[in-house]
Amino acid sequence: MRLRGSAWLALSSFLISSILTGAVRPRYGGTLTVELSTAWPTLDPAAIQTALSIPIAETLVRVSSHGETEPVLAVAWQHDPDFKRWRFSLRPKVTFHDGEALTAASAAPSLLAVLKQKYGEVSMEAGGQALVVQADHAMPELLDVLALPSAAIVRKSDASPLIGTGPFRVASWEPGRRLMLAAFDGYWGARPYLDTVAIEFGAGRGRADLFDIPVGPARRILPEGLAMWSSEPRTLVAIAAVNAQPAQLQALALSIDRAPIVNVLAQHLGDAAFGLLPQWLSGYAFLFQSTPDVTRARQIASQLRPAAMTLSYPASDLFLRSVAERVALNARDAGIAIQPMPGGNGNLHVNLSMLEWPLESADAADALKRIAEQVGAGDRARQLDPAKPDTLYQFERSLLDEYRIIPLVHLRESYGIAPRVHFQPSRSDTFHLHLEDAWVEK
Amino acid sequence: MSFRTKVFLSITATVVLAVWIVAAVVSTLVTQSFERRDAQRTAGIVSQYRREMGRRGEDVARRVKAVADSDIVQRLAVNFNGPVDSSQYYSQALALAQEQSLDFLELVGPDAGIISSAEWQARFGYKEDWIAQPTDWNAQMAFLKKEDLADGSALGLIAVRSVKAGDGTLFVAGGRRLDKEFLDSLPVTDGVRVQLYRNFEPLAPADALVEEVRRQPREQTRVSGAVTETAIPLQGREGQLLAILLIENSRAELLSLRQYIQTTAGAVGVAGVLLGLMLSFWTASRVTRPLRDLASSVREVAAGNWDTRASVSSSDEVGQLARDFNGMTEQLREQRDRMIQAERVAAWRELARRLAHELKNPLFPLQITIENLQRSRDAAPEQFDEVFRESTSTLLAELGHLKTIIGRFSDFAKMPAPQLEPVDVNQVAREVMQLFEAQLRAPGQPAIEIKLQMEAYPGEVRADPDQLRRALRNLVLNALDAMPQGGTLTVRTSRHDNKVALEVSDTGQGLTPEECDRLFTPYYTTKLHGTGLGLAIVQSVVSDHKGTITVQSEPGKGTTFRIELTT
Repeated sequence: MRLRGSAWLALSSFLISSILTGAVRPRYGGTLTVELSTAWPTLDPAAIQTALSIPIAETLVRVSSHGETEPVLAVAWQHDPDFKRWRFSLRPKVTFHDGEALTAASAAPSLLAVLKQKYGEVSMEAGGQALVVQADHAMPELLDVLALPSAAIVRKSDASPLIGTGPFRVASWEPGRRLMLAAFDGYWGARPYLDTVAIEFGAGRGRADLFDIPVGPARRILPEGLAMWSSEPRTLVAIAAVNAQPAQLQALALSIDRAPIVNVLAQHLGDAAFGLLPQWLSGYAFLFQSTPDVTRARQIASQLRPAAMTLSYPASDLFLRSVAERVALNARDAGIAIQPMPGGNGNLHVNLSMLEWPLESADAADALKRIAEQVGAGDRARQLDPAKPDTLYQFERSLLDEYRIIPLVHLRESYGIAPRVHFQPSRSDTFHLHLEDAWVEK
Repeated sequence: MSFRTKVFLSITATVVLAVWIVAAVVSTLVTQSFERRDAQRTAGIVSQYRREMGRRGEDVARRVKAVADSDIVQRLAVNFNGPVDSSQYYSQALALAQEQSLDFLELVGPDAGIISSAEWQARFGYKEDWIAQPTDWNAQMAFLKKEDLADGSALGLIAVRSVKAGDGTLFVAGGRRLDKEFLDSLPVTDGVRVQLYRNFEPLAPADALVEEVRRQPREQTRVSGAVTETAIPLQGREGQLLAILLIENSRAELLSLRQYIQTTAGAVGVAGVLLGLMLSFWTASRVTRPLRDLASSVREVAAGNWDTRASVSSSDEVGQLARDFNGMTEQLREQRDRMIQAERVAAWRELARRLAHELKNPLFPLQITIENLQRSRDAAPEQFDEVFRESTSTLLAELGHLKTIIGRFSDFAKMPAPQLEPVDVNQVAREVMQLFEAQLRAPGQPAIEIKLQMEAYPGEVRADPDQLRRALRNLVLNALDAMPQGGTLTVRTSRHDNKVALEVSDTGQGLTPEECDRLFTPYYTTKLHGTGLGLAIVQSVVSDHKGTITVQSEPGKGTTFRIELTT
């Protein structure tokens, strides 16, 4: 996998920031204040899709930004040649936040629901720290599934909304308003530097040590001295065809100028998307790059004489609204009438739908499969071979040529970081910002 | 049609005509006055809206100027160096527009590219070529312009101001939307409705005046029912028709006032007509009353009331007529009195003649007899006794004759009042005719045939039976006297409605018309030895019974007397 230039730029900016503050030695203690513009209604790991890693619960394995599987709660794993039987050895001396020891038996319930949803009938055998997963069919991408947040190992308890094994435990939780985390002294790894993390939701005043920068045309000027961290592009913004002719969609795709969308509407917090997967994930996205061809689009439209189309967008998302309006403006230049309208796919009169797809997986094949399932091509995606990038390219090319989906932009997730906040630069994950690596000056 | 009715109708027609003329004149004057007032009001409203549009244009220009002078725009102009990164200014136009309460605002670079747009944010980077044309925008007033929006088009009152930016010029184009809200924000005048028809979109079923102005873009005014419509073409900088402002000025108030005045005038007119009717009625009555009195007096005089006098209540022609009428009746009455006097003299002469005649005939034999007695006593005393007996017998007979004559006159003079009772006319007729049967059958009497033609049920009349029999007897005697050579005597009864008729007919020589006119005159007779009282007595009896008696006769064909009595 290759990192695109802009991703490297973001990463290097963070590294430079770290280097600049490298003279400051990490210390324990202190509280990190965080402001997040989007409220969390729940602490369910599966429902939290953010680049800011809140390490309360952990998975058996994780996928690095380079696509490599790394051990977390599982220290080793083996599988048979058919990928039908997997055996995991769990990390010893790991305890949950409530003091309960992590065993195969305590981990199995969290995994079983996820695996059954993914593979159907799955059996588990738990013995001590050994956990065996077996199915009648092959599970070659099981590690990717187990790396998903939804596969985090948690315990159910009335005493706490979420009990995991991560470096932070939940100290208090007011759904949608405030989350207080405290360092888990019994963490199996190194204790986090911070004593507590106070997260405020919906504040958005930029006075915290760490705050997110929402993507959108509203320009946010960071106060002097603050650093910005941006993740790799992790969200695809695209137009999904609901009820439109392919030729109409072709004309529309040719008319769209993505540069203004990225530079102005997304405020450079993303990359123009010509393919479904970002360059850092697929490595071949540059092959889809193109320029707008309004003349060609107008020719196609003039032959079609298309009726006016509607383009829906989530009513509360100002960014997608602005993108929809820009797309409509570009389309008008090609002679295609598009009426942006707030709403969803439930509207019978919707021809096109503006959507965001979070790229949950750092694995290209898995991410592509998920997108394919969203546009009704999930069956064809099952034949994808992660080991053969050309099959991914061919499959993505076919999806694009069918105009079922028109990619527009890959968005990054960005955060503003106060000068007193530092992150340990050793971690190679550029996909997440890990709170357990942060410390604050006095 | 009576004279009073004619006078009444004439006066009424005059009054109604006068009232109608007055009402028509008042209505016409009121209508003209109101039309002038309506035209003035409409012109005032149109002028007010024009002034207000001008004022709003100045306001827009001032706000756009404020944007151009703002720190943000000035900083943008100062820092201007080549193509502008719209990402820094994407929302700037919207913020500035909200700050200045502008609906439209665009920051346009020297290359005519939109840096930031408030009304259509997504349009950044697009060109506004019209704004880069050589124009001294800072000297330009606000103008109308069609603004393209994401959801269509809108009409805007736009002003443009330029800001020096490096070697180029930065343009600030802003304005306010000219829509219903804008119209609603204009000063409201009661009864005025303003509508805006935009010319760059399909018009709703529009007013005919709007269509007319679309064809010929010039201000036009038309009165339509209760509304005065004025259509004002709104044109852009290059004279293109962008919209039509339709000002509807309600005439309801004026119409209501006019209606009120006309209704009041109508009511007054009706009252005037009613008053005129009463006045004309009174006038007609007052004017014609002397004439009616005079006519009544004339009828009274015609009915025989010669003492009637017309009242003289004025000195005008009618009063003179009444005085002349009174003079005339006075003269007529005097002439009548003189005539009555003459008739009385004539009657007395006739009576004297009759009396002389009637009395002379018996007196002459009396004189002869007495002279014969005197001669007999002197000449032949021996025969005196015989002559005395014969003479006294003659004297008694003649004295009896005189007594009879005197008795008749006495009877006529002493006609008693009738004693009315139900009487069967047929019965009376039969009784009377029975008295005459023996006389008619006596030898030597002329052959007279009697015919009784009685109505089966004539009914009873209220009459004095003795007087009725006497009258009938006189008529029968009169008929017998008219037929000395014999003939046919017919007595007939009949009934017609509430009257019973009794007729006595003879077949004698008949009477001449002159004789008929005098038949009922007392002491008039056509007979040698008649007293002339028989038919006078009959007429007196009939008159006392409120009946009538008529005679129908022709010479040679007999005579019929007909008595009619009311049942």
